[in-house]
Amino acid sequence: MSDVTPMVKAEQVYKSFGALEVLKGIDLEVARGEVMCLIGASGSGKSTFLRLINHLEKLDAGRLSVDGELVGYREQSNKLYELKDKEICSQRAQIGMVFQRFNLFPHLSVRDNITIGPVKVKGQSVANARDRAAALLERVGLSEKIDAFPSQLSGGQQQRVAIARALAMDPKLMLFDEPTSALDPELVGEVLDVMRKLADEGMTMVVVTHEMGFAREVGDSLVFMDDGQIMEKGNPREILANPQNERLRSFLSKVL
Amino acid sequence: MSEGNLPRTEDAPQVGASSRPAPIKAIPVRHPWRWVAGIVLIILGAMLIHTLVFSTSQQPHQSGSRFQWNIVGSYIFSPLIMQGVVLTIELTIVSMIVGVSLGVLVAVMRLSKSRLISGSAWAYVWFFRGTPVLVQIYFWFYISALYPNLTLGIPFGPSFVSINMNAVLTAFWAGVLALSLNEGAYMSEIVRAGIISVDEGQGEAAHSLGMSKGKSLRLIVLPQAMRLIIPPTGNETISMLKTTSLVSAIGVGELTHWSLDIAAQNYRFIQMMIVASIWYLAMTTILSIGQYYLERHYARGSSRALPLTPFQQIKKNMRHYHLGPKKTESYDLPEVNHE
Repeated sequence: MSDVTPMVKAEQVYKSFGALEVLKGIDLEVARGEVMCLIGASGSGKSTFLRLINHLEKLDAGRLSVDGELVGYREQSNKLYELKDKEICSQRAQIGMVFQRFNLFPHLSVRDNITIGPVKVKGQSVANARDRAAALLERVGLSEKIDAFPSQLSGGQQQRVAIARALAMDPKLMLFDEPTSALDPELVGEVLDVMRKLADEGMTMVVVTHEMGFAREVGDSLVFMDDGQIMEKGNPREILANPQNERLRSFLSKVL
Repeated sequence: MSEGNLPRTEDAPQVGASSRPAPIKAIPVRHPWRWVAGIVLIILGAMLIHTLVFSTSQQPHQSGSRFQWNIVGSYIFSPLIMQGVVLTIELTIVSMIVGVSLGVLVAVMRLSKSRLISGSAWAYVWFFRGTPVLVQIYFWFYISALYPNLTLGIPFGPSFVSINMNAVLTAFWAGVLALSLNEGAYMSEIVRAGIISVDEGQGEAAHSLGMSKGKSLRLIVLPQAMRLIIPPTGNETISMLKTTSLVSAIGVGELTHWSLDIAAQNYRFIQMMIVASIWYLAMTTILSIGQYYLERHYARGSSRALPLTPFQQIKKNMRHYHLGPKKTESYDLPEVNHE
């Protein structure tokens, strides 16, 4: 039963910021183990959709669930109840998020950046969390940086630490919000390599990206968004080779 | 790191050494007005030292220097003055602890989404910043005339315990109450500015790890806001140390109170004010040094290299002047390594 439940399910999701309608009826399903790439011009609503999944933004209308559970609400006898801060936190703790601007905690060492979540949120012992941090850093190839502070790392290294920090919470779903957009071109590869490895290990991932190469090679599905709507959706290799939608064609001609 | 063994410039090939132009030798710009200002300052300084130390008393029955430093010396460590110094320190510490705690609380309230909560915080700041501390001190000192008894009970309902206000709110605690309520208003603005300065992404990253609003504030936002909060808080502490002198008005036995009290008996007002000033200066100097090290601690993570402490600076200069340029010792954090 639970294997059939999609990891993310969006039905007619709407979101406005003031008078500006950013999402206009998004229907989407992400299966377990699926790597879905969201592409589209800036302002098309893809980052907002990602933030809705993590409840960093509240949706206005529609339904959005992660692993069969509504995000931010509880449904009882056909009524929706807002979740308490604590309940929202426990939902978020199961979803990893990687930001465009890394958002590492600058006052903490790399080790403490990774252990603070497991220790302070999940109540893991410091010793266990530290062992785990060391293992995760090895996985992202940064073992020697364990005592460094974020300001001493390059952008690519910071983003790899940010991925390790998210993984330390053992998430069932990872969200990437343009993880390589703030990086110098020569540092993009190292971050994509880590993400590719993660995808190979079967992690469910939703990736907002401008890296068409990554979408083609690693993505299981590709979603093109424009003006708050999904314009095209399907196998990335087919879509990128033979885009049907006029706007996608013009978008790709600018990006590629 | 093994960088010390790398070939230095002597061994390295001299690229374009022959074509390199000679270093610039130019006649520096003269600054005659700096010289004039310097001379004026030196003359003023000499006059100050002369009047402080060498000029003799003009009073008929006095001998010795005009300032009568012997009297200053005989009172500086006198028991009453020392008692005043201790009470001044106590007042400062207690009022600052309460004031800073209040400040954090009010700052967080001010940032609340509830209009009622943020509005109350605003009203608090408006009231306590808008009235003089001295007036507030008198207000709390005389409040027991309005409320002779402090009662604990259900609002508008029966009361359980009743305490005599005069017994609880002594002059000392009335002073602490006034100073810390006033301080809380100023601190809340400082804390609020610090919290606002932290990048929004930090809170989002904390939330995405499942941290509650409280944890995110306590573990992520406030420690980073500290970098902006600490320097003005140091100034506030120094300012508080001096403001405590106002509670002498309600008879709290702190430094100014006893200095005035002794002066009222021996009529050496200037000397007693010098005694007080020396103690205030000594205490604020110690606070300034403490502030310097605190600021340095909280700068961690924001800059790649920490500034040298004065002690390290002296050590560096000593090495430079007496031992010649030796191996450069680095107090920096580990070197940045881009792959």
